[in-house]
Amino acid sequence: MLAAPGRGGANERLTMAHIGVGGMGGYHLRDMVERRDRGEVNIAAVCDIDRNRLTNALKTAGKGVQPYHDYRYILQRKDIDAVVIATPDHWHGVQMVHAAECGKHVYVEKPACCTIEEGKAMVTAAKKNNVSVQVGSQGRSQPEAYLAHRYLVNGNIGHISRVDCFHYPSPEDNNPVPDSDPPPELDWDMWLGPLRWRPYNKRYCHGVFRWLLESGGGQIRDRGAHVMSCAMWWMGADGTGPVTIEATGTSPKKGLWDSAVLMEVTYKFKNPDWTLTWTQMPRDKLPAAEERTGKEPGGKIVRPGYGAIYRGDKGQFIHWGGDGGTWAEKKAREWEPPAGAKDVYESPGHKEDWFKGIKTGAKTIMNIDAAVGVANLCILGNLSYILGRKLEWDQAKQEIVGDEQARRMMYRPQRHPYHL
Amino acid sequence: MNNVKKVSLAAAATGVMSGTARAARKKAVEELMAGIRDENDKVRAETWLGAGEVGAPAVKPLARVMTDKDFEVARAAKRGLWKIVRHVGRPKAGNERRAVVGELVELLDDEQPVPVRREVLWMLSEIGTRKSIKPIAALLSNKALREDARMVLQRIPSKNALAALRAGFKAAPEDFKLNIAQSLRQRGVEVSGYPCVKLVPTKKKNVKPL
Repeated sequence: MLAAPGRGGANERLTMAHIGVGGMGGYHLRDMVERRDRGEVNIAAVCDIDRNRLTNALKTAGKGVQPYHDYRYILQRKDIDAVVIATPDHWHGVQMVHAAECGKHVYVEKPACCTIEEGKAMVTAAKKNNVSVQVGSQGRSQPEAYLAHRYLVNGNIGHISRVDCFHYPSPEDNNPVPDSDPPPELDWDMWLGPLRWRPYNKRYCHGVFRWLLESGGGQIRDRGAHVMSCAMWWMGADGTGPVTIEATGTSPKKGLWDSAVLMEVTYKFKNPDWTLTWTQMPRDKLPAAEERTGKEPGGKIVRPGYGAIYRGDKGQFIHWGGDGGTWAEKKAREWEPPAGAKDVYESPGHKEDWFKGIKTGAKTIMNIDAAVGVANLCILGNLSYILGRKLEWDQAKQEIVGDEQARRMMYRPQRHPYHL
Repeated sequence: MNNVKKVSLAAAATGVMSGTARAARKKAVEELMAGIRDENDKVRAETWLGAGEVGAPAVKPLARVMTDKDFEVARAAKRGLWKIVRHVGRPKAGNERRAVVGELVELLDDEQPVPVRREVLWMLSEIGTRKSIKPIAALLSNKALREDARMVLQRIPSKNALAALRAGFKAAPEDFKLNIAQSLRQRGVEVSGYPCVKLVPTKKKNVKPL
């Protein structure tokens, strides 16, 4: 098979590097090691700004893999084809753009970006440098996501005018601590990277950065990037955006974390008209999960605390999860398509879909345009919550309308030299 | 909204401050500060969540508590101040916004602690007006705050902010010129002699290969 211009042939092994190897990054590395052991890829390098995490990653990756503290050394290496970026959210935009500018294909964790302007830069960098980007909203690639998508586009619940996403609350910081010196294994300056400088705090670092608005953005950005990704895909709404966004929420009562505990966001779309909502609700208000045997394509529902209800004029449909676990209601799983039914794209797996994109130039299932569109929903929801007012959005211009403060917040200057 | 806040707001909106309005405003600020210093975190949270409408008169009292030795009280004060900034940044609130900006600008002077000034700079990045450019630009020569001041000027979309960055670039010491050059590029200005270094590695390896 001939390779696409500037891309490796179908049978050529890609050489990978991993940037950020704790948490989800550790999962990606272990997954890639299995692929390497099956002869599918090479792993050339691992990188982390936490010495302990880097040391552990090196043990996982084994001999012949180079460890780096600074990802920019990896980007300089000509023998590396692609990078997997699983750093905290505030690094996604900068590192993806830098990697693309150095000609690397990119798998970057979700949410794609922290600001509207970062998203624009990511889309531009991917196009300009002709690299394949897959964003880690892997719900789109799950077997039951395909079944749900096929069920919905064939009109089984009629015309869908509303999708209600549900999620349990973001946590509160019930163990607040004062700022302190960073631990010796951590390069705090580089962990912060593009963010404005602030002192280290134990409650603002690995994992828990998720609950800070300027970095992780709370559940709406963590899981919103999954559940709303399914909604945009199944509604055929990639490339579109809302016209208004209105959010309310409750703030944590103490501690460093500031993302909304409970939250309600309403997105209104026009032409076609439909409504998307995101609600973080008390656990006892969540829809009950379906009983299962475990023999279904997605197995038992192990994360029933989030998902979405699709409301059509002939019925409704529910799914749970939306990430690595996506579970569709029984009626979608058991639906047999009649002759002439519409089919939809069935992903071979999220990484396989990315490899296909790298080797053939095909658009990935969670390409950067689609992922930025979903991240923008999350960002705009949080902006409306922070500002306490309804926002108007111009999808064609990719900008907020009629609110100078909100417009300034579409963009956040970044510290030198960790910028787009 | 309670009556005290209503009176305070009405007075601020008209620019006329009667004795009654002044007393009401003073009372609103006192109530706010008492709530911010309360031992109960629920009371503190309810207080800072309602700080927005108190507006300009609360800016300096809150700033004074932002460095309180009880870090949870300090956080409550900081969050109260941000609530004010987000409240007065709404469309059609120009008078309230200008009043708050005026107070914030005064908090940039050298007497204020660095953490307070850093936070105030970022508040001004969202609502800063022409009047705030000069005091922000003055901090481009302050080693502890110059990087924040640079980013804040980069964010404020006015010709004056850009002019301040150009002037700051000319006056900057060599070790800071690259930073301002980046801001100028971001604002569409071509800069020679100080190329973008974003892809240049700076951190050495600290783990050996197996």
